[in-house]
Amino acid sequence: MKSYIAQRLVIAVLTLFGMSVVIFVLLRMAPGDIVDVLFSAAGYVNPSEKQAILRELGMDKPYWRQYVEWITQIFHGDLGKSYRYDLPAWQIIRPLLPVTIELAMLSTIVAVALGVPTGIVSAVRQDGLLDYAMRVFSLAGLSMPSFWLGMVIILALVSWLAWIPPLTYVRPTENFWLHAVQFMLPALAVGYRSSALIMRITRSAMLEVLREDYIRTAWAKGQGEWAVVWRHALKNAILPVVTVVGIEFAFLIGGLVVTETVFNLPGVARFLVEAILWRDYPIVQNLVMFIAIVVILSNLAVDLLYGLLDPRVRYA
Amino acid sequence: MRSRMLPSLVALLAILDVLVGGAPAIGQNPPASPTPRSGGVLTLAQREETPQGFAIHETSTVSTTWPAMPCFSNLVLFDPRKPQESADTVLGELAEKWSWQDNYRNLVFFLRKGVKWHDGQPFTSKDVKFTFDMLREAPDAQGKLRINPRKDWYANVVNVEAPDPSTVIFHLKRPQPSLLLMLASGYTPIYAAHVPPAQYRTACVGTGPYKLKEWRKGEFIEYVKNPDYFVKGRPYLDGLKYVIIKERGTRVAALQAGQVQAAFPGDTSKTAAEQLKKAVPQLVITGAAENVNENVIMNTKKPPFDNVKVRLAVAHAIDRRALNQAVHQGGAAIGVSMPSKPWGIWGPAEATLATLPGYGKPAEEKARAKKLMAEAGHSPEKPVKVEIVTRAIAVYVDMASFIVNELKQIGIEATLKQIETAQWHAMATRGEYQIGANLTGIGIDDPDANYYENFACNSPRNYTFYCNEQIAAMVDKQSGEIDPRKRLAIVLDIQKKLEEEGVRPTLDWRVDNFAQWPQVKNLVPHNNFYNYGRLQDVWVDK
Repeated sequence: MKSYIAQRLVIAVLTLFGMSVVIFVLLRMAPGDIVDVLFSAAGYVNPSEKQAILRELGMDKPYWRQYVEWITQIFHGDLGKSYRYDLPAWQIIRPLLPVTIELAMLSTIVAVALGVPTGIVSAVRQDGLLDYAMRVFSLAGLSMPSFWLGMVIILALVSWLAWIPPLTYVRPTENFWLHAVQFMLPALAVGYRSSALIMRITRSAMLEVLREDYIRTAWAKGQGEWAVVWRHALKNAILPVVTVVGIEFAFLIGGLVVTETVFNLPGVARFLVEAILWRDYPIVQNLVMFIAIVVILSNLAVDLLYGLLDPRVRYA
Repeated sequence: MRSRMLPSLVALLAILDVLVGGAPAIGQNPPASPTPRSGGVLTLAQREETPQGFAIHETSTVSTTWPAMPCFSNLVLFDPRKPQESADTVLGELAEKWSWQDNYRNLVFFLRKGVKWHDGQPFTSKDVKFTFDMLREAPDAQGKLRINPRKDWYANVVNVEAPDPSTVIFHLKRPQPSLLLMLASGYTPIYAAHVPPAQYRTACVGTGPYKLKEWRKGEFIEYVKNPDYFVKGRPYLDGLKYVIIKERGTRVAALQAGQVQAAFPGDTSKTAAEQLKKAVPQLVITGAAENVNENVIMNTKKPPFDNVKVRLAVAHAIDRRALNQAVHQGGAAIGVSMPSKPWGIWGPAEATLATLPGYGKPAEEKARAKKLMAEAGHSPEKPVKVEIVTRAIAVYVDMASFIVNELKQIGIEATLKQIETAQWHAMATRGEYQIGANLTGIGIDDPDANYYENFACNSPRNYTFYCNEQIAAMVDKQSGEIDPRKRLAIVLDIQKKLEEEGVRPTLDWRVDNFAQWPQVKNLVPHNNFYNYGRLQDVWVDK
């Protein structure tokens, strides 16, 4: 297991290196730069002033040198300086992380709490009324974009209650109840969509397992439905569900853009888009690397969970 | 407070003001209360992060002026309580009084004494000289801006002299009555000489009614009352909070739910205002010009728009009223390069407007456009193919799509190309386009600000590259004209000439429907959304 983890970590480092090159190159391939955006806010462009600002920001240096400087800075624990805010990038990024991580985790919890039980019930009661109802419920979740659902929630709240959740971030230490409300609504909007996918995967995996010989044997031995479904079937059907949950969580870290925008939450995803539009390279590069690290770590966690859940993986 | 301007000038401007009248409101202005109360925090919507922090001098957007103005003071400012700005509504701010001297060649300001910067340093005439030397890019300037969009506003200023700590003299090359109005714009705050200009991008040291408490990036900007503010008893509010809400639907919901008490200027369309009023009848909606126009830029250095006949055909082809209905649901104002009454004071009257290219009956205008195209050597069988550029923002794209359809009817096949904001101004300044749909905001309703910025031969914002010495001479002439009636006559001639040359045809002037809760008092939208953000007189009736 240790050698497996070591091997995965080596691959992770190589992946991160590849990502750093890709994001660095892609950003510079995009037309325009921060100075163009700054001039846009001023309504004109002056070539000599532009050159001076490029020099000031160190953007006149050759690309390879900019890349080496960035990577060297990272190894020294320095993420560089935001072009837009003229502040250390870490100072900008640090407050965003807990918001997005919390939202992604809550959304994942909502998705699992909704998706797994409904998937199981749907499989156990296949082609029954409950199954059809669950499938309609999940199909609706897949069809509704979470941002649309978010906006509908906001509009419904404002129309019926003349109230919406707070629009500036409330820390849990400030007001826990308000904080919970602020996060639960977007988590529901995002979690519902993810739950639909989890429900369908759970259902199909359960249906497959429920047809296995050992399940028939369990029934034949006279075990109750609870034991057959939860102890024998679910344990064997859960692996693909864990994979999907891992992928969904990783996706949510960078994919919450619109939900964060609709609910006005100051998270990573929303800020990343802003930074891309502003061509704020240090912020974009470091946020993308952060997302890449989360993706790699969540994949690693899924792989390790495989080993815990399935002895065949452990002993292979 | 009031300046010692020449009596005749004051009288004539007053006549103009009377002729103009107040800006019409689709709702009502917030009722003024005789007994303002102190206390409370006003929460306002902010549509995006302020692009350059509080560095107003380095930007040209209301996204900066609106949340940054409460920190600063100007020498003079447009009266916050009067919706229609003019030379007659200019009040002293850091300047206690002022005087035009030497036949309008010198403008002398007498500054308030005992004013302090937010960091406790005393304010003196050195700060004023520092600010304007920096803006003019004087050779001996102590400060430098990395971007200086309004340098042209001060082209006529030869020198700024500070003979003593409370006197400043602007020496001009020639008379320029508009200078006072430029100094009254929200774009013209005084910076502290002891603070590096770059610092305003991240923090704010001003002399204004509110001190910066916190700027949480991408979230909000918060101010607290400045206890040392030089106007006794002001501001009324304990603080201000600008909540940054990127999503328009969420901004509307926030206003509706009362989480913000005032909208962002320019954010409420006619349709949105009607919906808001229906949902929350007590909301106060005030119609107010933004001083932003929608226009067509045509590159006069590139075919086919180097041909005046093709440019004029475009001007004739676009039905302004239909555009107003289709894109703004009738909520915009029709006008040429200066806004007409009641939204502005320099634009032509309705009768004159009807005689200009594009403002007559649609069918006749289209027929004239086709004729001009034929004279330019183009026929419907052999249509001109062009690429029309616009910014990849909904308001631009809606307008551009309408133009594409109009041009098709006169034999110009235009394909729409959306340009990202990061490239838009670079592309326009370099002239890397044929025709474009554009929006232009002007800091004050004044011909100098508009024509020197957008039509002068060497201005970086003259995106069309149109350069006509005769018109340039007329612009200089109106700028130096002290008699308002004579000046207005010249400005009307300039507008006519520009329309006849098909230079940057204006399609409409945007009109805001500023929304606020009724408990917000003394927040009066002006006919220009760059200039009413100081909020020192605003109070909340709890």
